Amino acid sequence: MFKNILFATTSSALCNDASDVAFEIARKHNSNLYIFYVFGFPSRGFGPVTDFKTGEAKYCDQAHVDKVKEEIKKTYADKLTKLGDYVIETRAGVPHTEILRFARKKDIDLIIMGPHTRDEKEGLKYKSTLGSTMQDVAQKARCPVMIVTRPVPKEKLEFSNIVFGTDFSKASDAAFLFAYNVAKTSGSNLYLFHALDVSPRAGSAIRSQNEIEKNLGEVKEKIKDVYVNRMEDFDNYQIETLEGIPYMEIIKFARGKDADLIIMAHHSKETDQDQEKALLGSTLEQVVIRSSCPVVSINRHKKE
Amino acid sequence: MYEFVSGPLALISFAVFFVGIIARIVWYVKGLDWRLDRVAYTEKLGDGIKGAVKSLFYWLLPLNRTTAKHPIFMAVTYLFHICLVAAPIFLLAHVVLIEESWNISWITIPDKLTDYMTLVVIAAGIFFLIRRLVDPNVRILTTASDYIVLAIAIAPFITGYIAYHQLELGAGYKTWLIIHILCGEIMLIAIPFTKLSHFVLSFCSRIQIGMDYGIKRGGAKGRGIAW
Amino acid sequence: MAQEAKNQDLPPLVTRKPVKTKEELDLLLADKGIRYYEDMKTFPVDKEALKKNLATTCKSRIRTWLEICAHCSLCADTCFFYLANDNDPKQIPSYKIQSTLGELVKRKGDVDTDFMINCMDTAWGKCTCCNRCGMYCPHGIDMGVMFGYLRGVCFSQGFVPHEMKIGSGMHWIYNAQMDVTVTDFVETCEWMAEENEDYYLGLTIPVDKPNADIMYTINAREVKHYPQDIAEAAILFHIAGENWTVPSKGWEETSLSMFAGDWAGCKNQVEWVYEAMNRLKPNRMVVTECGHAHRATIIEGPYWAGIKTGQTPSPSIHYVEWVLEALETGKLKLDPAKKIKEPVTLQDPCNYIRNGGLCDVTRKIMSYIAEDFREMSPNREHNFCCGGGGGLNGIGRYREQRNIGLKVKRDQILATGAKFVVSACHNCWDAIRDLEEVYEIGIKWSFLKPILLDMVIIPDHIKPKEEE
Ligand code: HEM
Ligand code: SF4
Ligand code: SF4
Ligand code: SF4
Repeated sequence: MFKNILFATTSSALCNDASDVAFEIARKHNSNLYIFYVFGFPSRGFGPVTDFKTGEAKYCDQAHVDKVKEEIKKTYADKLTKLGDYVIETRAGVPHTEILRFARKKDIDLIIMGPHTRDEKEGLKYKSTLGSTMQDVAQKARCPVMIVTRPVPKEKLEFSNIVFGTDFSKASDAAFLFAYNVAKTSGSNLYLFHALDVSPRAGSAIRSQNEIEKNLGEVKEKIKDVYVNRMEDFDNYQIETLEGIPYMEIIKFARGKDADLIIMAHHSKETDQDQEKALLGSTLEQVVIRSSCPVVSINRHKKE
Repeated sequence: MYEFVSGPLALISFAVFFVGIIARIVWYVKGLDWRLDRVAYTEKLGDGIKGAVKSLFYWLLPLNRTTAKHPIFMAVTYLFHICLVAAPIFLLAHVVLIEESWNISWITIPDKLTDYMTLVVIAAGIFFLIRRLVDPNVRILTTASDYIVLAIAIAPFITGYIAYHQLELGAGYKTWLIIHILCGEIMLIAIPFTKLSHFVLSFCSRIQIGMDYGIKRGGAKGRGIAW
Repeated sequence: MAQEAKNQDLPPLVTRKPVKTKEELDLLLADKGIRYYEDMKTFPVDKEALKKNLATTCKSRIRTWLEICAHCSLCADTCFFYLANDNDPKQIPSYKIQSTLGELVKRKGDVDTDFMINCMDTAWGKCTCCNRCGMYCPHGIDMGVMFGYLRGVCFSQGFVPHEMKIGSGMHWIYNAQMDVTVTDFVETCEWMAEENEDYYLGLTIPVDKPNADIMYTINAREVKHYPQDIAEAAILFHIAGENWTVPSKGWEETSLSMFAGDWAGCKNQVEWVYEAMNRLKPNRMVVTECGHAHRATIIEGPYWAGIKTGQTPSPSIHYVEWVLEALETGKLKLDPAKKIKEPVTLQDPCNYIRNGGLCDVTRKIMSYIAEDFREMSPNREHNFCCGGGGGLNGIGRYREQRNIGLKVKRDQILATGAKFVVSACHNCWDAIRDLEEVYEIGIKWSFLKPILLDMVIIPDHIKPKEEE
């Protein structure tokens, strides 16, 4: 299931929690792990590369590459000893571009990364080129992208409770398949969850409570129809629906159920088109920021 | 002496002048190389001519941004050149002399006017000189030859003015006349050999850059270059 | 002198030849320009070769310009370097060329190493070959052209900035300005098609399709760092219903060789593109939003390749020309409600405006996309260089000078009151980005493609269907 895992690191404390998760999953699944580091963008042609995190300009020559690889090795020294297969890869360029390019090339099954937080100022400055790495990776990757922003105790990586949030889009379909797969192999409890968007922005008229109840009922039917029917003999699932602002509801729900993993689709178009939303970040970004457990974003079916 | 400078020497200087400038034009045109210059001079002659005409038009008339940006200097330059070229050619005395020697003549302008024109050339010359001495931008560009060339260009006008008005400045009319003729001849001879050759080469350059823009630098895309 | 002795055992970095092997290139890259410039200080001038070079290639046009310059200084304030350096007389175009190429020609090549280094520092560090000065000189003397020529002379003697030497080498080795191979290019196209095909039904990036209407060529850095640019181009072509293709070989239209003055390299590079035209026989070629690439491949290229008409084998246009055509013919329909509301200004890249005549084209495009379009002043053919042209953006040695030069563009932009700059040129785009980095005036900038993509109305048959 996770033959090839890519752990995209910024080699800073920000990624510590993600690294723990990455190494543990790789160990458990006996995966090939690629530890991937992007230096940043050349400040000018053939010139030094400006590191996105530190702002320092450094030439990306062999010596520097070796040094960075050495540093990464040192940072993760004790964790790496437990691993079978791992490779440290570095690139110079725009981080999300290089991560995606590499993932495609190596047929990566799962990308794991930290928040790669966007520095507000830089984020705005480079918006047209860079956007935020996490957003872009989640948006465009062909494979699931797991984002880890908080420490995850080992036992939670058994994924006993998985929340799958759907909005019935095509992307959600891909997310469902993944959630189902993980739940089946890990023997987890799978929550099929939908939040009815009643935030004032979404629709024009404010719906009455009756109407909402009715809608929620319909949604439950739909979940049965669309997803449950496909889950052969797997029966360890529950259907849950709530109304509210989707990202709030899914977070609250996950917390209530002590979820170990949230799986949801990323709506790629959302960020591009809606200026207002782009500023706040998408639903996914909001979930990622607030979630205490890892979040997996899936955008589409894996290319066969 | 007068006979010599106004006879054979005049002939020689005119000959050097004409042969010289023709040689410079020929040398210029022959030196154009479509590959080195990267301009399809002959293949796209039509576009080239259009560009050249435009270029000449906007610059022979003061219809360019340089004139708008530097109105005083450009006004002086235009006046300087108009007077410098027109005054000697249409001066009655010159035309009469030429008619006597070669039996050809053309219209003339009144002496009063050429007199003013001469003063304009001299005044402009002094303006150029002062500018060269005081403006740091011009000073850094100036070489000794710029002063010499300027002197060669206005000397015939100063000496001509002295001779015409019979100002007795340490020498008689006859002497001043001879000096004037000599200065004129020096100027004629100097034109092909110094940067006074811009007399013709300026046209060449203007035509060339016009063709350059007309043929490849956007001229063919409609708007052409806006000088 | 200890330094020199040490360097003698090392392979030479400064040479009079272009770099044509990967080993040499790696050596140069690894050096970062340190030993390179150190070695250059003692690198001898080949006076014989220089003399011969001048005798055969410096012909009447340039000699006349050098000779008849009136030393009048009217060109002084036409050069942005002069203005940015507080009217420093040493930045007058005429001074810059007379003290370098002028002397060189006068002395028939009898000059020393220091002289050549000064030529290099002037030809690359004090001129972007924007050709603005030439428009204002009463004699029509084009210093930009002469500096271009001087660069070639410097290159042939080995006096060329480190990055330019590398750039020229890249073109020899990869046929591209960066280490991007044909495989990289084709893979990136596939990748971009894959990444977007779900959102734009039927989207493909056809490689090597013969007899297409449009053959699209790009800038290597799109492959290397901005693949989304390729995707955007593909999407827009697709929406417009174009029959288009990219050539697997011959896709790179930029030319650092031109900036470097490596004329043989220039020829080699454009011939690669022209071969693609001859092979695929497209009706025309469209080049991406890049200024110097248009200049190199469309305007100057045919001459390097020895094509007498000065025309590319297939008719070629700049991306902005295609955009306008698509807007005017309705192939691309924009949603008028999405027109940019905030004030927008437009950078006129010298390489296809002053030297390509396309200023009306970009302005018509602006009328489709912006409600409050503000002209810079001066503009159109008279616009100032962004400050980073002629390869200057890439050269470390002149970074300070480049940053000073950016002040002119900064003030031009500020004067418009707009905080958004449209720049359909990679180089200008970089310069404006760096300008923001250095001076922090709070502007945004963009190519046309992302703007168009935000506004374009996607035809129904291309919209993805959400299955019920
Ligand atoms: C009709 C053809 C001519 C054209 C198109 C022409 C054009 C020019 C131009 C464009 C300049 C540079 C701008 C300036 O300094 O004013 C110039 C300067 C000059 N021209 Fe001419 N010129 C012509 C004929 C002549 C002739 C026949 C002479 C004298 C023999 C002459 C003497 C000068 C001098 C002395 C200057 C330098 C002024 C200075 O010191 O700044 N020009 N000319
Ligand atoms: S404007 Fe022309 S003639 Fe005057 S100094 Fe400049 S290059 Fe020379
Ligand atoms: S070409 Fe441009 S940069 Fe170079 S001297 Fe002329 S105005 Fe200045
Ligand atoms: S970068 Fe743009 S503005 Fe600057 S020289 Fe090139 S085309 Fe001109």
